[in-house]
Amino acid sequence: MKKAISFIFGVLLLSVSCLSSCSSDKDKLAHLHDEQGLAGLRVATSTGSCYDIELSKRDDIQLLLFNSDADQLQALLSGQADVLVQDETVFNSEIRKEYGIQIAFKGEQAFPTALAFRKDEPDLVQAMNAVLATMKEDGTLKQLKDFWLTEEYLDNRLFRHIPVETTGDNPLRVACVVNLAPISFVVGKEWYGLEVDLARALSSYLHRPLEFKLYDMSGIMALKNGLADLLIGGMFVTPERQMQFLFAEPYHNFHPAYYIRNPEVKATSTAGFWEKIGKSLRRNLVEENRWQYITGGLLETLKITFFSILLGSVLGMGVCALSRSRRKWMRGVAGFYSWFMSSIPILVLLLILFYVVFVGSGLSPATVAIIAFSLDFAAGAGEIYSTSLSAIPHGQTEAGLALGFTRLQTFFHIVLPQALKRGLPLFQGQCISLLKGTSIVGYIAIQDLTRAGDLIRSRTFDPFVPLLIVTLIYFLLAWLIILLLKLVTPKKQVL
Amino acid sequence: MITVRHLSKTYHNPDGTSLTVLKDINCEIGPGEVISIIGPSGTGKSTFLRALNLLDAPTGGEILFNGENILAKGYPVHKLRQKMGMVFQNFNLFDHMTVLENIQYAPVKILGKSKAEAREEALSLLRKVGLAEKADVYPDSLSGGQKQRVAIARCLAMNPEVILFDEPTSALDPTMVGEVLSVMRQLARDGMTMLIVTHEMKFARDVSTRIFFMYDGYIHEDGTPKQLFENPKRSATKAFTQRIRREVFEVTGDDFDFQGMYTAMARFCIKNDIAQKRDKVESLCELMINDLMAGYRPMTVRINYKEITNEASLDFMVEKLEKSPLNDQSKLRSLCSDVVEEATTRGFRVKLVL
Repeated sequence: MKKAISFIFGVLLLSVSCLSSCSSDKDKLAHLHDEQGLAGLRVATSTGSCYDIELSKRDDIQLLLFNSDADQLQALLSGQADVLVQDETVFNSEIRKEYGIQIAFKGEQAFPTALAFRKDEPDLVQAMNAVLATMKEDGTLKQLKDFWLTEEYLDNRLFRHIPVETTGDNPLRVACVVNLAPISFVVGKEWYGLEVDLARALSSYLHRPLEFKLYDMSGIMALKNGLADLLIGGMFVTPERQMQFLFAEPYHNFHPAYYIRNPEVKATSTAGFWEKIGKSLRRNLVEENRWQYITGGLLETLKITFFSILLGSVLGMGVCALSRSRRKWMRGVAGFYSWFMSSIPILVLLLILFYVVFVGSGLSPATVAIIAFSLDFAAGAGEIYSTSLSAIPHGQTEAGLALGFTRLQTFFHIVLPQALKRGLPLFQGQCISLLKGTSIVGYIAIQDLTRAGDLIRSRTFDPFVPLLIVTLIYFLLAWLIILLLKLVTPKKQVL
Repeated sequence: MITVRHLSKTYHNPDGTSLTVLKDINCEIGPGEVISIIGPSGTGKSTFLRALNLLDAPTGGEILFNGENILAKGYPVHKLRQKMGMVFQNFNLFDHMTVLENIQYAPVKILGKSKAEAREEALSLLRKVGLAEKADVYPDSLSGGQKQRVAIARCLAMNPEVILFDEPTSALDPTMVGEVLSVMRQLARDGMTMLIVTHEMKFARDVSTRIFFMYDGYIHEDGTPKQLFENPKRSATKAFTQRIRREVFEVTGDDFDFQGMYTAMARFCIKNDIAQKRDKVESLCELMINDLMAGYRPMTVRINYKEITNEASLDFMVEKLEKSPLNDQSKLRSLCSDVVEEATTRGFRVKLVL
């Protein structure tokens, strides 16, 4: 056993050291000033972005794809990637300095960027275009771009230029695909950024208030399914996307920036260990009141977990009753349900429920999540109940009946207490895996605990501390579940 | 008290076949009767008992309990079972409760007795079955015999009018049968109405007021123990009650597993309630095999027990032998009551009656 472990460690160490040694293509990086120079290098970028599409046409580079900017930055810093391709605005001078990275060069190619709308709402596009035309004419658009896209906003980044409509009962629902300064980002509960200001202009033009929701790339699906009215977050206009959506006039042409590690600046500061920890905690929790994301996310996670366990436990009783029925077709239904639920990935179920089944039903994402997790939990719980009950010998039931208990009394007084004792550890495990499973609800725009960590990461670009905090809280929650279950289980139900 | 008329029970299998276990049962059971139900395996003894308290609902006929038809629609079955207790082969004690809780649970939950009152009664019942000191342990830590005694106490706690015993000693190690039977004997003396499915013939004969011999789905013969065991009217009854139990060993040579044989014989003695003869059996075998008949190999050794006469004997047989191998019977006479030497068709047999 020990040998096996040290072997695995050895292999890990070897691969890590190999990674770092391969990374030093210093010469190439020092003279990197155009796309040709990328040959033979490892390039990090966002999954499904335009850079992904462009760069994947080249077979002389190794493309590394990530879902978040924080992960990409971490890959660059740790030496897993040599170059990082992103919008020129993503890493501002402050962040570049902080992490010791620099822009090697900016790409020639220009990417027109615009707000996207549903195909069945050309009126909204026309309104947006009218707003943009006015803003161009009176210079507001240039003002906005000067404010957000030059680095002026660093000093005064929350400055509000554009008024917004705040009343009305027909809100414009805005799906944001990124939480990223300076395009669209959230501080506390307020949204800021260049495209947010454009949306605000549209809002006051139409006299409709705004409602923001962070979807990640699944926002594309939200827009298509009518869960949102417009999509923001630096959407490049591409022919593929034009087939799916209507784009307003592009407000800007973005250029890609190629970021590399700054060879002069070693990213090690002179600060001591505790000082560093303190600084990191301050940045990730205190600044902009970021701890509120954690508490808000914790509440969402708790809410979904609690109600799913509650509802799922009850539904599970139904599944169990079906599976123990005398009628063959009822057992068949239960069997099919268990098979279906154990075969479908919970994320797929969640997405299908949210984007297909309950579209237009007006149910909140959290409700849909509770339904999905309850359905999933019911299958597992039903099986646990069923096996626990089967484990109690039939003689116990007979003894109860023979003493003069009715069937119901026999079940509740004699069989159930014994089954509970057997099933509890399994049930506990099921609850904890549900808790962990809820970490995917970010896919349907719920800001749960995991998503809270992501939100903080996408603003601070700190790969480690938010994850660590979130992990610790999950540990704590799991422990809490065990404790709670122990409390609600009758210790000694007997007399 | 209990009247059974034309009772029948047929099991229908999912594949369309069916099996009729009880064909036509008729009987009358009065208060205070102790009835043993005996018969070969698979003749419906347990099914009959379980039909009486409707754990296995009969498919035909009627059962009257104190004049009421318990098979009538809407008859409160659980009320019936409160008056008709049952003791199971596998005890079926509630494993999640202590001994005391097992006993007082039903009186508190069903009869609405106070916990204190139920506890007092439970303790006194435990004293009656000799297990008061085990009141607070869990069934796990009890031996089979102790478990069955607790199960009897649990049954008595409901104050039943009749108790059904479904092979109460069949799952027990032979050494533990006695303690359970003695509790049952005590109950019979106290006047409890009992129906007992059992394979303990000696017990059935000594304790029962009546015996049902079940055969082929019917009560084949019904009568006092004396009638059924000593003067059965029907041939099947006779074959069953007067059968001889035996176990046979072939002593091939000196490599034979003598220790194994002695162990098997001891078990045979305990099982047939002649444990006190264990030592004598072993001494006699040793004497015969190693001394008096030392030169005769191979030899067949047989231990016999006839339940009805309580008669045990040992046979030593050698094939193709024409005259007695014994020169001197004096050593044997002090150990056994009779020595019979006889030639058989295949050889010669020495029978030692114990």
